[in-house]
Parts: sequence; C-alpha cells; structure tokens
Amino acid sequence: MNVTLAVKQYISKMIESSGAGMKVLLMDKETTSIVSVVYTQSEILQKEVYLFERIDSQSRESMKHLKAICFLRPTKENVEHLIQELRRPKYSVYFIYFSNVISKSEIKALAEADEQEVVAEVQEFYGDFIAVNPHVFSLNLQGVAKGRSWDPSVLWRCTQGLTSVLLALKKCPMIRYQLSSDMSKRLAENVKQIITKEYELFDFRKTEVPPLLLILDRSDDAITPLLNQWTYQAMVHELLGINNNRIDLSRVPGISKDLREVVLSAENDEFYANNLYLNFGEIGTNIKNLMEDFQKKRPKGQQKLESISDMKAFVDNYPQFKKMSGTVSKHVTVVGELSRLVAERQLMEVSEVEQELACQNDHSSAQQNVRRLLQNPRVSEMDAVRLVALYALRYERHSASILPALMEQLTRRGVSEARRRMVQCVVEYGGKRVRGSDLITPTDAVAITKQFFKGLKGVENVYAQHQPLLHDTLDQLIKGRLKDSQFPYLGASSLRDRPQDVIVFVIGGATYEEALCVYNMNRSTPGVRIVLGGSSMLNTKSFLEEVMSSTSSGGERSQGISRYSNRH
Amino acid sequence: METSVGMLALTSPSITVAWTRTCGNLRSWEQQEVTWTCSRSSAPPGSITTSSKSISSSSDWKRTNSDAAKIRAIEKSVVPWVRDGDVPFCPDCGTKFNLRNRRHHCRLCGSIMCRKCVEFVPLPLAQKLINGTREALSFAGSRSQSQSPSGVGSRRGSVSSMSSVTSVIDDKDDEKIRCCRHCTDTLRKKQHKLDDKDFVPDIVKLYERLRMCMDKVDEKAPEYIRMAESLNAGETTYNLDTAGGLRLEVQKYYELIDALSKKILTLGVKNDPQPHPKALQLQRMVRYSATLFVQEKLLGLMSLPTKEKYEELKENRKRQQEMRLQQERLAAQEVVTRNRPAASSNGEPPLAPRAVSMTKAGGWLPSPDSSGHVRRALDDPLLQQIENIRSFLRQAREASRTDEATMLEENLRQLQDEYDRRQTDLALALSQKLAEEENERQGELRRLEAWERAENKRGSPTQQADFDHVSPDASSLAEEFPPANADGHGNLPCDEASTPVEEDPSNPFCEDIKRERMEAASEKREYNPFDEDDTQNDCVPSNPFEEEEEHDNADSGNPFAEEDERDDNMGSRNPFAECSKAGSSTNPFDCDDDDNVDLIEEELLLQQIDNIRAYIFDAKLSGRTDEVELLAENLRELQQALREHKKNEL
Repeated sequence: MNVTLAVKQYISKMIESSGAGMKVLLMDKETTSIVSVVYTQSEILQKEVYLFERIDSQSRESMKHLKAICFLRPTKENVEHLIQELRRPKYSVYFIYFSNVISKSEIKALAEADEQEVVAEVQEFYGDFIAVNPHVFSLNLQGVAKGRSWDPSVLWRCTQGLTSVLLALKKCPMIRYQLSSDMSKRLAENVKQIITKEYELFDFRKTEVPPLLLILDRSDDAITPLLNQWTYQAMVHELLGINNNRIDLSRVPGISKDLREVVLSAENDEFYANNLYLNFGEIGTNIKNLMEDFQKKRPKGQQKLESISDMKAFVDNYPQFKKMSGTVSKHVTVVGELSRLVAERQLMEVSEVEQELACQNDHSSAQQNVRRLLQNPRVSEMDAVRLVALYALRYERHSASILPALMEQLTRRGVSEARRRMVQCVVEYGGKRVRGSDLITPTDAVAITKQFFKGLKGVENVYAQHQPLLHDTLDQLIKGRLKDSQFPYLGASSLRDRPQDVIVFVIGGATYEEALCVYNMNRSTPGVRIVLGGSSMLNTKSFLEEVMSSTSSGGERSQGISRYSNRH
Repeated sequence: METSVGMLALTSPSITVAWTRTCGNLRSWEQQEVTWTCSRSSAPPGSITTSSKSISSSSDWKRTNSDAAKIRAIEKSVVPWVRDGDVPFCPDCGTKFNLRNRRHHCRLCGSIMCRKCVEFVPLPLAQKLINGTREALSFAGSRSQSQSPSGVGSRRGSVSSMSSVTSVIDDKDDEKIRCCRHCTDTLRKKQHKLDDKDFVPDIVKLYERLRMCMDKVDEKAPEYIRMAESLNAGETTYNLDTAGGLRLEVQKYYELIDALSKKILTLGVKNDPQPHPKALQLQRMVRYSATLFVQEKLLGLMSLPTKEKYEELKENRKRQQEMRLQQERLAAQEVVTRNRPAASSNGEPPLAPRAVSMTKAGGWLPSPDSSGHVRRALDDPLLQQIENIRSFLRQAREASRTDEATMLEENLRQLQDEYDRRQTDLALALSQKLAEEENERQGELRRLEAWERAENKRGSPTQQADFDHVSPDASSLAEEFPPANADGHGNLPCDEASTPVEEDPSNPFCEDIKRERMEAASEKREYNPFDEDDTQNDCVPSNPFEEEEEHDNADSGNPFAEEDERDDNMGSRNPFAECSKAGSSTNPFDCDDDDNVDLIEEELLLQQIDNIRAYIFDAKLSGRTDEVELLAENLRELQQALREHKKNEL
C-alpha cells in the first residue's frame, strides 16, 4: 500500500527492460508530472536516461543511437502522436508503456504504423496517478464538479486514475460511497464497471478481508480546506502552494536566483522527510539545531541565532556555507518566508478564531472575534473572506446569525464583489442542505458526550484543535460502525469484518490536513492501511476556485478565474 | 470478453524471415510473422505476464533443380501471381495491356505492371537485405512473438518473398529481381534502416567506452577501498604495493572517464553546421552524469599511507595487539586466581618458575620473561591485558585445549576491539581539532580573499581570475564547491574528518599548500600555488605547444560558453521547459534543465578542476613528474575555460 513505491518500481522496470545504452524518455504532459514527482533528474541520469522529451514536441531531432522509452497516457492524442512517430521513427528502438488500459483497436493502429519494425515492447504499466506521499495520491484535476455533476471527460479521468491505483496496489475492492453525493455514486459505478470489464486484470490473490474503496465528496466537509494549517507540508501548501513537489518562491522579497523555485520531495530530502508532519514550532527548533551544528564548525560564532530572520541573515552572509548546505538553505528560506507571512498576515490570531469557529460552540464569542479581526487592517482580504465563510457555514441556521452585518463589513473593507460572492458559494457548496454527515453538530449521544469532555479538558494546542471529518468517518469505518444508510455498499455483498486495506478517494480534492490525519491513523492502528486520494490536493485558494466552478452561481466566470490562477 | 488473458495478439503487416541452410544445395526456410503482443502487467513489475512465443506457418520446401519452368513454378509458389485476365490496365500508369505492352509480374507481391513500370532489385542488395533481416530476427526473437491467424497479409516489399526468389535465381544470368515500384520503395526503406544500424556515430563509440570504464571503476573501487582501509589500520592482509597499483589503475579509469566525457561534450562543437541543440544537450547530460559519477566515487577513494607511515602503523598495531593481549592475560590471571584459591592455599607458588608448568588440570600464568619484557614497553593497561591474553592463548594452544583457546580468542578480540575503539576516538578527537584549526584558517583566508577581490574589482578587473581562492587540496575543494544542487539530493558527504587526505598531518604537501596560501593571502598579491608548481615542473614557461593550446582554446571560442547561449534558444523546445513556461505544470526536472544550465556548466568546470588537482596531488605523491606536467597543462586549460565562461556571464 505504498503508491510512491509502486510508481517508482514501474518506472525503474521500464528503464531496466530497455537494456544498456543511451536512452530518451518520451512522455506527455501528465506522465511528466507522474515521473517527476517520484524521481529526480540525477536519479534518472544514473539509469542512462539523458534526455526527456514530450511526445508532442516538434523540435526533436532524429537520433538513431538512442533508445526511446515512451511512457504515455492512453489518450487519443497520444496514440496519434505515437503513430506519427512510428511512421518516421527518430530513435532506434521503442519501448512503449501506457499508463492505463488501452484498447485493442488502438494497438492495431499502432502496429500498422510500425512499418519499420522499431517497436520492441508494448505494455500497460498502471501508474496513472501522482504519488504525493507514500499514502497519498492525487490526479491534479481542477474544477471537477460542474454544477454538482460530472463533466464526462473528468469522470473518465477519475475512473482511470482510481482503477490504476487499484491495479498498482493489486486490490480488487468492495466499494462504498457517500449516499448524499450523486457524484460519488456515479464514480463508484464507473469504477465497478471497469472492474467487471477487465476482470482478468483484477484477478488478484484473495485476501482474508477484502480491501475497501470509499468514495467521498468534498462538499461533505467544506470546513477543513478553509482552515490555516500549522504542519510543515500542509502549511507550505496553504501559504506558498505545492505543485508536483515544487514550490514557487519567486515572489519572496529578496530571493536569490537559485532559490526562485525549490523542490520539496520527501524521497530525496531527509530534513523534509523528517519534518513533513511536524508543526511550525518544532520545525523552527529543528532548523535552529541544524544551523547551530553548522555554526559550531565555523570560527568566531559571535552572532547568536535567536530568530529565523537571524538565521536567514546568517545564511546570506556565508555564500560558501550556502553551497555547502543546499538543503538547509532551502528550508531556511521556506520557513523564513512562512514565518514572514504568518507575521504579516497575523495568521496566529486568524487561525485561533478559525479553530474556535470550527470546533467550539460559542456563538457570541465567535461573532465578536470575527468582527474584531475584520476590523484589523493587517488581516488579508483572503483571510477575511475565509473567516466569514467559516462563520457562514458554522452558524448557517443560527437564530442570531450576524452574517449580513459581516458581509456589510467586508464591503466596507473594499473586498471585491467576486470574493464576497465566494461566501455564498461556499454555503451553497457545503451547507447543511448538501451535507450527508453531521459535520458540525453531533446528533448521537456518544459524540455529544465526547465533545462535552473535550470542552472540559481544555485544548492542548489552540491551533490544532480541529480534526477533519475524515478522521471520524475512517475511525467508524475501522471499528465497523460506519452506517450503511450513509455510506452504502455498491452491490449486494458487504464487508463482515473490520476492513484492513482502505483506499479513500475524495471527489473535489483532499487536503494535507487529511493526509496528516491518515498518516497518524496508519501509525496508531496496527493492521490497518489507508491510502488517501483526491482529484487534487487543496489549499484554501484552490478550494475556493473549486467551489466557484462547481456552484451554479459561480458559473462560467469563475471558471475563467480558476484557469487564470492556475497559470500562476 | 474481448480481451484475452494477459495479452492481445494482433496481426501486423510486418514480416520478418529467418532462413537456414541445412545442407548442400538444399535450403529450407521458415517464415515467421512477428506480431505485437500487448502484455499487461497489472502489478508493479515483476509479475508481468510474458506472452507466449510461437512460430507460425512455417513452410518448408526444397529445391533440387533450377529448370526454368520449375523456377517459374517456385516463384509462383512464393507469392500467388495475380491472374492476367483480372488486370486489363497497368495499375501504376494506366496504359492498356496488349500484345506489345505485355504484363509483368512482381516477384515479391505478385501484382501486375507494364514494362515501363518494372523495377529491378539487384541481387547483392537483396542478399544484404536478407542477411540484415535475419539478424534483425535474432534480435526480434527476444521480443514477444505470437501466432497470426493467416499467413497472408500485405506482402508488399516482403523480404521473405525476396529470399525465396533469390534462392531460385542465384545461378541465373540476370542478377536482379523483377518487382514493382511499391515493393522497391519498401525495400529501400528497409535498406536505410539497415544502413542506420551499421552506422555507429562517434558519440556511441565514446559512450560505450565510457560505460566500460564506469563498470570497471564499480568493480575495482570497492576492492581498493577495502585494501586501503585495512592498510590504514596497519593490518598486513594486503600488500602496500598492490594497493598502490590498484589505486593507480582506478585513477587511470577516472582520468579516462573524464577525458571521454569531455570528448563527448565537445563533439561536433567546432563543426560548421552546429549539431542539433538536442544533440548538444545529450552530450552535456552525459558529461554531467559522468562528472557526478567521478565526484561521488573519487571522494570515497581514501589515500594510502606512505611506506614509512605504513611501517609506523604496523608497529602501532602490533603494539596495540600486544598490549591487549597482556591485559587479557591479566584479566585471565584474576579469574584464575579467583578460581583456584585452594591451590594457592596449598602453598603452591602462584608464580610459576621459569619453565611454565603446564598440567592439563591446572591453568597457566603469564611467563615472567615475556610479560616483563612487554611491560617495559607498554604502559597502557589495555595493551598489557592484551599481551597477557595472548600468552595465555599461546599456552592454551600448546596444551591443545581448544575450547579454552577459542574462549581466549574471543576475549582477545573483544579487548582489541575496545582498544581500537579508543584509539579511533583519540584519532577522531585529534582530527576534529585539526579540522577546526583548518577551518579557522580557511575562514580568515576567505575573508581576506573576499576583501581582496573587492579591492581587485575596484582596481583592475583584468587581473587574473579568482582562482587563488580555490584551495588546491582535493577534499577541501570539494568542501568549497559541493554540487550546488538546490534539490539537496546531490549533496556529497563533505565531512572534513572523513577524508584522510586533508587532515593527514604527516602530509608535507598539504602543509606546504596551506603555508603558500597563507602567504598568498597575507601578501595580498596574485599568487597561484599551482602556477608555481607548473613552472617548477616543466621549467619551460614559454613552451610553444602550451601557448598554442591556450591560444587555441581562447579564440576558438570556449565550448561551454557557446553552449550556454545556444541553450537559451533551444530551451523553449524542451518539453520540460515548455511546461514551466506555460506554467500549468511545473516539474523538478526543468529547473535542472533550464535554470541551472549555467550553474551546471560552471559546476562542471569547477568539479573538473577539483578532479585534476586531486590527480596532480596524487601524481606528485607518487613522483610521476611527466604526468604532473600533463595534468598541469590540462588544469590551466580548464582554468582558462572557466575564466572565459565567467567573462561571458558578465
């Protein structure tokens, strides 16, 4: 149940089976992401792959002394490009790998194009997803829902992605889906259909307890993606944005040329791997320790490293040192930028109120705090909108709701019309009317007492009170208590035992907070292995875009917005 | 269901042929339809369903006679001829067939054409194609082959037909095969392909040699490291000279790798039509990976002790072992005395007389001679103990008490380990101290240099490039110029304490360099210790050859710099770069591909300089002056290149 390893093995197998000699890797846009997330360039160089090309690139030169390894998605365009390529081959031998099931007719078309007999191998390697972490995968799809229903092409891509994950992990699962969401039902049915159609492929050794695929809809928990995060990976994604392991730092003031864009990959970066799930304070300490270690080796360490900005200054002043510790300087820069943003946007205060909104049940204090923060000029526009959206979701049906007043306050702050509309869209997307689970007010007695005790005990960390709804859902699932009425099985059979291998897929995108939650559950419950997937990895910004594209009132305009912002 | 388990077998028009001569003038051939098999692997590799391999419609026929009529029959049996009545017009040019304009059949596909449209394949070409295809089949044998339902597909340009036709006509006058335009087209294509295969570009030749060298290094380096470790520990398992020889060999391979990859890098750069940017990129990537390889492995290559040093080490080790033995003996003595209180109470003298009493029942004591002698030399209690145990062991062996001997041996080993550990701790502490001192010095130096450089910039920018801040020692260099890999995964271990070269206090060269650098820094003048070395060694500063080299290098345009410029142009055609520019999908590769190219270039140069310096260092140590000369020249060349590069960058 390790998606990263599965993709890595596929790729190394591809490269190995082509034998010795110089090689070129031909990919399409999506497989480029798939490969680049699990392998770095220098790792691939060691395997004698010296060139990386796009199949649709026109400028490739004929190099008959190279072997071509093609890793492509089985799309029409790719097959067409490949046919053109085989008609006029630029390389000596072709090893062709499709990332998913390809049809017989397309194979035939390819075989007919292979007039010069350059194809040595055609195989299907089911790496049709982006392995974000060993237990997290994403499909990098934006704007999944269009007015609460599937775009057919997106549905097909999701089905392909999910089935390839199942094949790569060798699972033929039972499927449960969220009843309140029509989209999850459609997806579940499509996956089932593929499993039935390609039953030979899914003919794996039976395990004692069959694996389980759980399909959820983001709209059931619209709160999680609206919260500020304080663990390293989640925080970096929330504040800077992670795109295929890369982080764009070009907007950081005074950034040096070689740090404009950095790669954070747990596979190759030990510090990152160790600190991925630690919270901001711990990372600061770890970085400080690391720096002090280095500093000890230096002469005349007069200056003390008290704060993160001190550390940044320290690194800047020693170019040699900077080179010596590429990793450290990278992380110092990233953490430095995070702490700058936290200070500038007063994220500590904002986050405290967010957590209060999400977890406590005190309307009067909540509304006071939101009002207070909206008056604070240092709180960014985005954060103001997100606070109001959270309030609107949380106290949607509250008798004394001050939402109109808050909206008025937003207008006075000069928040644009488009942004103000987001609040309404969020409620429309994830409001009470839509939800199937009790996201906010627990209904059964056990949960109520639990919350009561939680209130008595007080909280350890005000910024980490929130537990995503996914935690409860999975917890109940593992204990065998998840209600069939909310999450029915597809088909007649149902699971008797407690599930062991679980694959969760969130339509509309998963968050890194949920990734952390799954990571902790995997560690704390022996015998249970959970893999989390999403149509994308969300932060607040991309979530709001997702919401705008899915709700009807957002409509066409927001689609333009999301496309625009993707480009950044 | 449509899909069959694990594979899809499909007919393809491509036909390859193998034919084998069985005996004399009897020929049999088998024809194979090579089809694609789409095998699916539903699991991470390892469980890929391999498709069945089968040979289809193999038909054998024999020929004994070359009678004309029979030939015709055979020809017809190879390929069914189209009936004359079916084709009233030439399909290619459209002229009507009549008595004058007769029909001709293509011997390869059986179709009909007029005389004007007939083409001929000369026999030598046919032979070549047949042989070539046969080779191709032996390659194809490794890939999946599967049965095709019918042997008859399109036979246009089929080599199989040709091979059977040639088999008929080889002793006739007309040494060519009559065939149609379409068949010749296909054959020509096949011929091109075969030609391509025969043609091996320079880069492939070089690359193959490069890989061979890398394999050799992979094979030899671990062996050498094992030897060097053992020798540095003062063990006598290996011979110092053999290790030295091996070191030389490995280094030769490094030099070769370096030279080869450099050659690959500059392939075709001076040609008039510049090679395709992709080709250049390929060359650069090969070079880059070779440099990474060398750097990674070379740093792990520890140095050997000098002869005197080795003697010293051996002596040390011996002493340590003795000491340990003695201590063990003491410990054993304690045990013995504790175990035998009765014996001593009996009045038996605890110290044995000169001749050691060895009764099978009793224990033994250290012989006073040896222990006394050793004690004078060793004052470390551990060593004494070791010595003791050794002597016990000897006695046990003499008394052939194997179980006790093994126990003692065990004991001895533990003690030795303990002692070794302590020694290494001591050594580590010492080396750390040294490293700290060194660091301090370097820090000062660097500050001075920085200041100096600033001065230079203000003053005369044309002064010699700032090579003086590159310390000449290989390992300290590595410390200064680690791969500036922003990803952080390429970071090499540059722990100073781990490289014996640097901190080896007995290394006179090292000290020299430091002194020189200190001088250089304190006197604030341009002073490159390596320049001096060169002049010392070749003593002919006005060597015309060298001049030429440098000159050549300078005005032919530095290849690195040129590539840089070019790279900018082609960057946009790189798919990785493309997606980064489009911004829609960024991936870790393109940063390396695109942004870091400058860095890589410079890095490559710097790495190369490091390597060369390490070689020089080594060559000097082993007194190979001719090599030093050569390398020094190389070094200067590189420095020149770097200067050019920097200038270009500015």
